[in-house]
Amino acid sequence: MKEIKRLSFDLLEKLLEDIEKPGRYINNETGTKSKNPEAPDYFYDKVLMALVFPDIYEVGMSNLGLQILYDIINKHKDFSVERVFSPWIDFEKKLREQNTKIFSLENRIFLDCFDLVGFTVQHELLYTNILNMLDLGGIKINSKQRGEKSPIICAGGPAVVNPQPISKFMDFFVIGDGEDVITRILQIVKAYKEGRKEKKWFLNEISGLDGIYIPEFYKFYYYPDGLIEKIEPEKKVKKAVVKNLDKFKIVQNPVIPNIKTIHDRFIVEIMRGCGRGCRFCQAGFIYRPVRKREVESLIRQSIEGIKNTGYDEISFLSLSSSDYGEIEHLVCRIVDSQKSGRFSVSMPSLRLDSFNLRLLELIQSGRKTGLTFAPEAGSQKMRDIINKNIKENEMMECIKMAFGKGWEKIKLYFMIGLPFENNEDIHGIVKLIEKIIAAAKEKLPGKKLPRLKINVSINAFCPKPFTPFQWAGQDCPENLDRKFDYILKNISKRYVDIRWSDSRKSIVECALSRGDESVCDVIERAWKNGAKFDNWSDFFSFDIWEEAFKKAALDIGFFTTRNFSEDEVLPWDMIDIGISKKFLLKEYNKSKKYAGYHNKI
Amino acid sequence: MQGTIIRFKFNKRDGFKYLSHLDISRIIKRALSRAGFRVAYSQGYNPKPKISFSPPTPLGLESLAEYADVIIDENIDGNEFKRRINKELKDEMQVTVAKNLFIKAGSLMNEIAVSLYTFTLDTSSSNKRLTEGFHRDMESSLIEKSGFLNSIYNFEVIPSKEASNIILLKLYGYAKIFKEKNNDFFKFNDFYPFLKERLQEYRINISNVKKEELFLIAEDKIKTPVDVI
Repeated sequence: MKEIKRLSFDLLEKLLEDIEKPGRYINNETGTKSKNPEAPDYFYDKVLMALVFPDIYEVGMSNLGLQILYDIINKHKDFSVERVFSPWIDFEKKLREQNTKIFSLENRIFLDCFDLVGFTVQHELLYTNILNMLDLGGIKINSKQRGEKSPIICAGGPAVVNPQPISKFMDFFVIGDGEDVITRILQIVKAYKEGRKEKKWFLNEISGLDGIYIPEFYKFYYYPDGLIEKIEPEKKVKKAVVKNLDKFKIVQNPVIPNIKTIHDRFIVEIMRGCGRGCRFCQAGFIYRPVRKREVESLIRQSIEGIKNTGYDEISFLSLSSSDYGEIEHLVCRIVDSQKSGRFSVSMPSLRLDSFNLRLLELIQSGRKTGLTFAPEAGSQKMRDIINKNIKENEMMECIKMAFGKGWEKIKLYFMIGLPFENNEDIHGIVKLIEKIIAAAKEKLPGKKLPRLKINVSINAFCPKPFTPFQWAGQDCPENLDRKFDYILKNISKRYVDIRWSDSRKSIVECALSRGDESVCDVIERAWKNGAKFDNWSDFFSFDIWEEAFKKAALDIGFFTTRNFSEDEVLPWDMIDIGISKKFLLKEYNKSKKYAGYHNKI
Repeated sequence: MQGTIIRFKFNKRDGFKYLSHLDISRIIKRALSRAGFRVAYSQGYNPKPKISFSPPTPLGLESLAEYADVIIDENIDGNEFKRRINKELKDEMQVTVAKNLFIKAGSLMNEIAVSLYTFTLDTSSSNKRLTEGFHRDMESSLIEKSGFLNSIYNFEVIPSKEASNIILLKLYGYAKIFKEKNNDFFKFNDFYPFLKERLQEYRINISNVKKEELFLIAEDKIKTPVDVI
């Protein structure tokens, strides 16, 4: 049996000298549930799993998925899971200088002493951090080079619905909902550990479960031009789905961070999946079917959770809260159960209209902190193309009503570089913002007008697997920058603040998202040349990535700006996400029709 | 309704010494809420719980003396308060004293005048003369000639009773400016590296340091925040 090595508190203290925010690396928050090793052999008959979030503590602890899996696994008597987050730059430097491996928070167990290491991957720009953390844990990054003694390494989460770009580094992937399948996997890990079986035996055993993709069991054949000829075997990996969300209660005793995190509040998922079908939105497709929690038990569990945690804010999570039938009932009951004025409710995805503005007044309890709209595109034609069903007049009516009621802060989300987009569509964004300013001048009381603030966030469109736009080429960075500059130049800065995401970052995100297994080497090279925390603008370096693609003799445009052909075998075709390729193609063709129809006028 | 004011003292030890003042205040507020206390809130646009803390302790420094005053909208006895809140707090951070405050007291942030820091010094020898010599030097060169004199209320050098190689330096630093005393704030984060470096000349290591107590100055005497009530 593997010896479980731990970092002593004394050594941790030495390492923490002069480290920024040391609270990130200490444990013992309220709500931790990992088992305590009373004796050195305590874990011999238990499965020890590391749940790794490849970003810093403050980001990872804001993630509900992590809390859900943590809760389920630690409730099981035979399993114990501990959390591992990415060290920040200063602590990584210290660890490397002192030749100390990264360790879990709970019992400070070194990463390579776990039986199973599972990465939860929220987006593609975390891939280099995964390699960095494996390396910091003393684990070989390439799965083929890892021996029988190495922990088994897996990954799950929305980014890996196309697992190919990091397939070289993982023993297996979990595609879909983790709640059910994680216990099955851990039971097999237990048998593997107790029976001293080989890794191959383990992989064979789990291959029958829903949602398990094992890279070494699949072979990809390529044409000389880099396109995929075929994937063998033909049998697809079916996404794991929890049919009934109520089977698992909400996490009523989450780990409550000691330090301030990005979202420091009680989080409750009310609904999974989204039926709206916006053609750019990956979450909208990969989390289908739409499943909602039953409202009365949700209310009971939420009230219990608020009491258990002492939080003064609850966040109702879903992809489209306004589509939750009893949303008003839910919000009213929760607000009523708490002292007025001291408790707030947030709903990140509330689609605003005149009807639920009332709801918003209720949850902001008179504070009127701000309104968020996501029209995504500036023209009706473009919104039809992307299937974003927001009508401009309805939105304007709601905004006018909000100004009339005294709201003075508006946040708007737009995307540029969408398929079939032209200059008029870009100008549409400018016109829409002007209309909102005009509405404010008309409706906002005179003394409030100077306080008007319109925050506009503009992102570059990035085509994602399993969306109708998965075939569409991404706009090139020069075009994206030109379009953004146009908006920036033509908007009055008096009331508007514009944020723009780095278009080069979107290019890399797209390549990592639509890439095939050849991208593995690019990621490895980029990481070796210093890429990490790619989502942080201070660290992102396009040069490193450009160089890495060049060295791998790959054209980045092959994965980004190229329009994938409709009969092409896609790198993620071995995954059955629950929606047929035929359906996605039909949706794509619909969007083309909208583009053509409007062009004729 | 008449509220209760509770003044309580708590510690932060082990890993919890790495938590900031704001972290600690958030943890206390949540614990109060979990314990079911009806904490009073301020009026207005953005109501805040009526709780105030003693001045921040430097990050990474163990503390046995953090104080807070909280107003609760019900009659609660100090002992009951202590029992209920400790159930919601971790072992690394426990309330050690809780008393009902009946008099009108100034805010802890403004009233705390002196902080006591205890440095445990390891001389790696058991020489009594060393302690005496060290005491002399401490006074003459270390404190008087350093720039810290004006920020120190008092200090003591005491040989430890438990181990002959250990000396305790108890340093009372000013946490408040008094016009008549013309004093400075004691800056721990400046003093600590200075002391560490100077002690190297004596081959003495600092094996432990903690914030041990806070004091107010009343009638020219120092008293702890719970002694005055």
